[in-house]
Amino acid sequence: MIRFQKKNLLYKIYTWFPILALFISVFNEFDLNYLNIDYFSFNFPFILIFYFSLKEYQRFDYFLVFLAGLVNDTVVGLPLGLSSLSYILICIFATYLRNITISPNLIKDWFYFLFIISLINSINYSVLFLFFSYELDITFFIINNFFTFIFYIIFSVFFKRYLKSLDD
Amino acid sequence: MAESRDDFIIAIRSAFLKKSTKQKFSLLTLVFFSIVIIVLSSFNFKVINVTKSIIKEVVYRSSFIVSVPENLIKSSYYNVNEYTNYYKEYKLTKEELDQLKSENISTKIIRIENDELKSLIDGYTTTSNKILAKVIVDHESPFLRSIIINKGSKEKIKIGTNIYDRSYLVGRVIEVNYTNSRVLLLTDLNSNIPVSITPGNVQAIVVGDGDKKGEIRYIKNDLINKIDDKGIAYTSGTGSIFKSGIPVGTVDLKDESEKILINFYSDFTQLKYVFAEINELAPTSVETKENDQTESSSNTEQIKLDLISDELQILEESNNKFLEENKELNNLTNELKKQIEILKKENYFQKNAIQQHNLDQEELEFLRLNLIYSSKCQSKKLFSTGFKVGTPEYKECIMQKGKISD
Repeated sequence: MIRFQKKNLLYKIYTWFPILALFISVFNEFDLNYLNIDYFSFNFPFILIFYFSLKEYQRFDYFLVFLAGLVNDTVVGLPLGLSSLSYILICIFATYLRNITISPNLIKDWFYFLFIISLINSINYSVLFLFFSYELDITFFIINNFFTFIFYIIFSVFFKRYLKSLDD
Repeated sequence: MAESRDDFIIAIRSAFLKKSTKQKFSLLTLVFFSIVIIVLSSFNFKVINVTKSIIKEVVYRSSFIVSVPENLIKSSYYNVNEYTNYYKEYKLTKEELDQLKSENISTKIIRIENDELKSLIDGYTTTSNKILAKVIVDHESPFLRSIIINKGSKEKIKIGTNIYDRSYLVGRVIEVNYTNSRVLLLTDLNSNIPVSITPGNVQAIVVGDGDKKGEIRYIKNDLINKIDDKGIAYTSGTGSIFKSGIPVGTVDLKDESEKILINFYSDFTQLKYVFAEINELAPTSVETKENDQTESSSNTEQIKLDLISDELQILEESNNKFLEENKELNNLTNELKKQIEILKKENYFQKNAIQQHNLDQEELEFLRLNLIYSSKCQSKKLFSTGFKVGTPEYKECIMQKGKISD
């Protein structure tokens, strides 16, 4: 396994991985859409933000999350500020869960995550439909919600390893 | 009870307000910021628009750079797919090219006629200038179908500018910045295209299905039966959203959900370069005449002469084509004539052979009967009841099996 010398530049970059991954994903709109699988899409930033807020990772600056939301809105073409609000709401819910949890449980977190993303996607859909008159297909939201929920458990394994590698 | 409520309030307060050492802002402040930005961005103030435009310029450029590795993977994936279907596509393209070449001449004539008629009806002609634009951001969001191109207000692109892939319609510009613009693709749920469908000249609205196709909506029920499978949909120009006569796609009636779908000509996932059409209105010869009679008359004459020379050239081309076809047909006729002659001769020989065969049969029958009935039909010196051998009467007697007719 690769071991970094602490205070090394590469190590510093490695510690910033969650934020870097977040920005790369919002700039790229990383959801594997080009595979042309019908209806398949998932929201990677939701998974990342929820996981690292829940674990209270120190390098995970909420202001940078807020900026990532603005970038996402610009790239996707949504009203400016909507994704920022969604991301910050995820942070709030994750922080709340962390505060009320004494012994963390992955399965409980997972289902709490489903509740959160469903709520946030509903808010997004309502805001876009009611205030900005966007024509949207609710099926896309439901399927995106479902795949984001499924992928959470897979990504959480990788993120756990990442955090463990930093502790070592 | 009160204790658990206190815990809940503490947890909520902590989530909203508590700032850890590394955080610059509390989450409540950021929520407030987000709401302010959403509200402000819905107002149409100059300062906000300029700020939005600057943010978009920076983000689009950054997104283009950051997307390079992903685009590389994407393009390699598509390249591999293309190479596997290379030969099949080549054959299809060749056939299509042959067909298109033959259709090209008549299209030219129709286009010129169309231009003439339009200038007569509208009082002005549109001079269109198509500029090439590169697609810098194409992320295929599952909710919104749009792309970013590297041409903006600097190149006179406006909201509503039509965007093409070759000569096929791709979408229209919905947001313009100084050096780039956002194009709403035809597949987006918010895209409405007024179309005419041939054959039948049915007027309808095509709405994007949010995926790869369009759906025909807002059509009178009694006209649905008029629509054929593989019918061609082109823009009708109604509402002046899109220019008229631009090919959009073909009708697909094979859908199981009984929806009438449109298969767009262009594959929106493969867009690398597109054309933006910048239209400028130019007064027609009639209007110009009022302003400057002499200049306009010479211009009109020149336009007419150009048109006539174009028509003449096209007519000559079609004439040559017809002459060639005529020559080929003449050759074919001559060959056919030769074949007919040969067949006639063969027929004549066969007829003769059949006739000869019939005669031979008759002769054979006569000889057979002659052996049996010759004594009855021959003439005898004492009692002249028969006929002299070799006469027609003798032959008749033999053929009637010895019966002498009166």
